[in-house]
Amino acid sequence: MKVVALYKWARDPEAANVRAGGVVDWGNAKMVAGDDDHAVLEVAKALAEGGELVGLTLGDGDAAWALARGVEVAYSVPDAPFLADNAATAAIMAAAVKHIGGADVVVVGDAEQHPGVPAALAGLLGWPALLGVTSATAEGERLTAVRRVGDTIQTVWVDAPAVLSVAATGEEAKPPGMMQMLQARKKPVTQVSLAELGVDPKEGVASRGTRLPDVTGAKMLEGSPAQVAADLVAALRSDGVL
Amino acid sequence: MDFDVIVVGAGIAGCVTAYQLASGGHSVLLVERGAEPGAKNLSGGVLYCRVMEKVFPGFVDKAPVERRITRNYLGFLNQDSLVGIDYHDQRLGQPVNAVSVLRAKLDAWLAEQCEGAGAVVMPGIKVDSLLSENGQYRGIKAGDDELTANVVVLADGVNSFLAREAGLRGKEPLKHLAVGVKSVIGLPAGVIEDRFGVAPGEGAAYAIVGDCTAGVGGGGFLYTNQESLSIGVVLRLDDLVAKGLGSVELHDRFVQHPGIAPLLKDGELLEYGCHLVAEGGQAMVHDLARPGLVVVGDAAGLTLNTGLTVRGMDLAAASGIAAASAIEDALADKHFSQAAMDGYVARLNQSFAGKDMATYAKAPAFMENPRLFNDYGPLLANILRGFYNLDTTPREHALPVVRGALKASGLGLVRLARDGLAGVRAL
Repeated sequence: MKVVALYKWARDPEAANVRAGGVVDWGNAKMVAGDDDHAVLEVAKALAEGGELVGLTLGDGDAAWALARGVEVAYSVPDAPFLADNAATAAIMAAAVKHIGGADVVVVGDAEQHPGVPAALAGLLGWPALLGVTSATAEGERLTAVRRVGDTIQTVWVDAPAVLSVAATGEEAKPPGMMQMLQARKKPVTQVSLAELGVDPKEGVASRGTRLPDVTGAKMLEGSPAQVAADLVAALRSDGVL
Repeated sequence: MDFDVIVVGAGIAGCVTAYQLASGGHSVLLVERGAEPGAKNLSGGVLYCRVMEKVFPGFVDKAPVERRITRNYLGFLNQDSLVGIDYHDQRLGQPVNAVSVLRAKLDAWLAEQCEGAGAVVMPGIKVDSLLSENGQYRGIKAGDDELTANVVVLADGVNSFLAREAGLRGKEPLKHLAVGVKSVIGLPAGVIEDRFGVAPGEGAAYAIVGDCTAGVGGGGFLYTNQESLSIGVVLRLDDLVAKGLGSVELHDRFVQHPGIAPLLKDGELLEYGCHLVAEGGQAMVHDLARPGLVVVGDAAGLTLNTGLTVRGMDLAAASGIAAASAIEDALADKHFSQAAMDGYVARLNQSFAGKDMATYAKAPAFMENPRLFNDYGPLLANILRGFYNLDTTPREHALPVVRGALKASGLGLVRLARDGLAGVRAL
């Protein structure tokens, strides 16, 4: 089974500075691994066992991240821009998947900040999409995915090709060591340009401004432990928490 | 050996060392704890950049620097007055002598140069310990992995836990350390140029003592970046603790001071943070070499605060040059003994950095003088007030004015002379 794992295709929202005028200043933030990306690789590795695992990253993200985590073949689209338009991002991904000869499964992160990407990607590829996947196995063309829906856990069968969107259930269990990272830096990365993909991404979302949520100031309680505890209980009562 | 040289820390000292050795065709690993070089660095500061030209010709034009500093301002800040020396000189810009930098940008660029020269740059690695065998250092350990090299260069910053582990330095006494609290305030380039009276691309550096720290040893600083100001206070830890004051309160007090606030007006707070700063000067420089190991930059204690200039980055670069040259020889001879590594110390001592550390060895003690922070500012203001405050009473000659202000300050002529002499000797 040929599995494409998508990783590092968005910037870290915490790297964004919202300026007074409502402009978002990204500084020199690069594409980074999203919170779900390590789980994406876990699922992709499990599915690709005995088959082929290809890593795909967009923009200026460092591919060594995936190469140190078991990806053998790495592609990147260095000139892919970071877009607010989920469909436009997915269009780059879909073109890249086609460019590298298609796949049986594309695994991508659930990405809270960009929720439309997995579904748009599946739509553009014409494949079914399963969202909220926490683990998956493959038997022949049949994929068995476990996903969380609300407080129930579903086991879903779907035939390849399909897009699986993975949600991490925790932190990465064992990040790669220095040796793995060093070896990863020596492995080749095939770069594909947007022109080669035949994609000319257009930002379809026009932002009229961004505003930070209102912040409520923190209360500092000072005094003896007993006094602080009493003040805390009083404050919780007055705020209606207790 | 996995590498000829492993450099720990991708700041200025580490990058300069790694770049030079990699350019010389040696295999170099540059490891950095931050997710990216510069990620952990808060410094916005003035880099006296002539030394960088030796390593990276055309540095000022190629590197991401903010502004060329052509105006230096030394100020004594009092509760309701500010007495300053304003030194504006076009000659400081030709050739460029100092630039303001934001390290998050500069360090990323430096690491790119290292990579371009053939060094392997690996961010996101926290080195846990050093590998050694019978006193000969042989590499680094991070997690379960070990990597070996003929020489390890410690460029891991002011705290340098690795240098401590190697027994090269003990825990620094509080009086050698200060805490820096900094804000970066966003302002349009044109506003900065108008407000500070500088041409586009040029900038100012302010060094301020006195009320900005409420008498705590240390001072205030303000540097102009391209579209922001770096402003804050540096506070000596022992004095801060003794006076029971808080660093955040003193920072806020400084930026709100009527002598300073107008410079920041309508600016937008972009960044805020604090960092440990080495202030011990020459007294903080410890032995810097062991077989197979050298220490450079802040980790080596190479910082200088003379009151007029606060230096660290240029000294870091000079130590990197000295280290790379000594290691180059050691690699050629295949000797990594104490004597071979002492070649670095000898080269450092011969460089302007080593010589300046010696020249200004007395500066930290002079800068500890509490009168510098408490008394001289008001004295200067009172003398000037004697000349300018024309309150329809008849004027006196300069001498009685000065004498009167001196008497009122309680400083006394002898003490003034002594402090003056100490200052001349220390600086």
